[in-house]
Amino acid sequence: MKQSEIKAMNRSFGILDGRKSNILHSKRTEELKERVNQIRKFSIDNMEELVSRGIEKLEENGVEVVTADKPEDALDAIYSIVQDQGIVAKSKSNTAGEIGLTEFLESKGVSVIETDLGDRIVQLDPNSRPSHPIGPASHLRMDDIAVILSKHYGVDVKPEPRTILNTVKDDVIKSISKCSVGITGANSVAADDGSIVTVHNEGNISLVSMLDTHIIVVGIDKFVETIEDAVSVVKLETVYASGKTVPAYMNIISSPSKTADIEQILLKNMYGSRRVVVVLLDNGRRKAIEDGGECLLCIGCGSCIVTCPIYNVVGNDFGYRRHLGGRGVVLSSFIDDEKTCTDSGLYLCTMCGQCTYECPVGVKTSELIKKLRNDAVIMGLACDEHRIIRDNINKKGSPF
Amino acid sequence: MLYFKGCVVREKLPGISNATEKILKKAGIDYTLLDNESCCGSFLMRTGFKNEAEEVMKNNLQDILTTNEETVLVSCAGCYNTLKNDYKALFDVELDVIHTSELVKELLAENKIHVDSTEKIVTYHDPCHLGRHSGIYEEPRDAIKTTADLVEMKRNRERSRCCGAGSGVKSAFPELALEVGCRRIQDAEEVGAEILVTSCSFCILNLENALEKTKNQDEDGSLKSVMDITELILMGMER
Repeated sequence: MKQSEIKAMNRSFGILDGRKSNILHSKRTEELKERVNQIRKFSIDNMEELVSRGIEKLEENGVEVVTADKPEDALDAIYSIVQDQGIVAKSKSNTAGEIGLTEFLESKGVSVIETDLGDRIVQLDPNSRPSHPIGPASHLRMDDIAVILSKHYGVDVKPEPRTILNTVKDDVIKSISKCSVGITGANSVAADDGSIVTVHNEGNISLVSMLDTHIIVVGIDKFVETIEDAVSVVKLETVYASGKTVPAYMNIISSPSKTADIEQILLKNMYGSRRVVVVLLDNGRRKAIEDGGECLLCIGCGSCIVTCPIYNVVGNDFGYRRHLGGRGVVLSSFIDDEKTCTDSGLYLCTMCGQCTYECPVGVKTSELIKKLRNDAVIMGLACDEHRIIRDNINKKGSPF
Repeated sequence: MLYFKGCVVREKLPGISNATEKILKKAGIDYTLLDNESCCGSFLMRTGFKNEAEEVMKNNLQDILTTNEETVLVSCAGCYNTLKNDYKALFDVELDVIHTSELVKELLAENKIHVDSTEKIVTYHDPCHLGRHSGIYEEPRDAIKTTADLVEMKRNRERSRCCGAGSGVKSAFPELALEVGCRRIQDAEEVGAEILVTSCSFCILNLENALEKTKNQDEDGSLKSVMDITELILMGMER
């Protein structure tokens, strides 16, 4: 990331952090936090059970479920649904980012319209990647955004927030009108109810999820037991991600659109989606669970990177794809291998423990990093500088 | 009492052990030093050299236990966390470890040493090993307040910004460690501190480099120096 981007990102992070501080230690948040910690722990401890119950219930509700072990499985499944489409609409999703969905579809000739404002801006900037899971354009200044949009649309877009919003909004609305497939992620999935919970502030997910076909890409780690649990998770995520007590929208989707208003005869395909497809992704998550599953407790709020001393300096080069910061580094070892994990920044972490303190579910990232470094050394991936110091200590009892 | 200096103090920052030993003498505390003090093992353990770390730690533990001293005094926050918490987790040995910041606070409270005001504006940087990892936040502050005006950085205590050096980052990525250190120097300048005091020799090493870099960039701020808590207390004692 460029120095100007790092500076802009830290400025955005500072504002977010300040907003959060007002509600973080309220009784309401503390109670919610305790509840969600239990919910997430239960999820990780009972993952297989929840996955099979969840699939059964989703299918019973009329939702199609595709299970994908690897990114290719998910990409192929999604492509087979959208291959006749020239354009699809999409909302923000770390899981879709993890498997490179947008890039894949575009390489196959299917245009993907990112509908989240920040995501759309980042999509139109060939030089940047998202810098925060909820605020992907945190690293771009208003002036930069205006230049990016002016270049893309071929008109002069003024560096003024309302103008920027309207420019993107008009474009996205126009594009969505050409789409029959919408792709979203999910913030939490209720196994016993067979329901998908999504959270958004812009209203974009409502638009995307009302298209003819709604595809939901979600990791198996997002399962919890009930809708009530799922709502607790996303409420806490909202507090930690945005500093607000509730998001503008929580959508709960349990089946394709239907009605029974005529003599209780069930008719499908009313206003909403005619077809709902859940693509359930493993991609190393089961491997992470075998290892204790600590890194999957995450609820995706991004608090860990906002105050991370390293992320504050290097930005999104510290992490793996859309899984940013140290926790993303840890996840990459399960998704890919030790080499990828090392390249994602295994040795960039100072193990300061700030992320664990900031995390609503207390993911012990530095402990996990420590363990992964032990593996990396065994694999011959240790840093040369560290080897020299190790030899010094062995020889002289001192690193110097 | 065994005074365990730690590698950085022994080899790079002898001013800290000089100050500490002067304070110990002034307070009339008997102490011993190890003839052949070795690394505590922190670096090896946090950079993935698990087997080597355990070997070094075992030998070091043996050296410490052989002295038959009840208490181990340390200057470095990294040594503190390692000797106190990691040795316990690994070998189930509960060493009675005390950090110099805890000791000086105690000596001041018991009137065993006396300080005058240094008339300095001081801010305190919580080292990760002593703060977040060991929960020691107030003792260093109490000690500082006896001899200086303490101002808090925006990010303090549990939210203290790491200096950027730890767990092998300074050796593998010196520029990154320095850049993070510069952020911490900025934090201290924002609150108008003249001296940044901390209680970790490795933080001091990095923050001194960062202060130098900041000054070289002609950013002349309020901060004049970085020092260990024992050095500040000694300054107050010698007023």
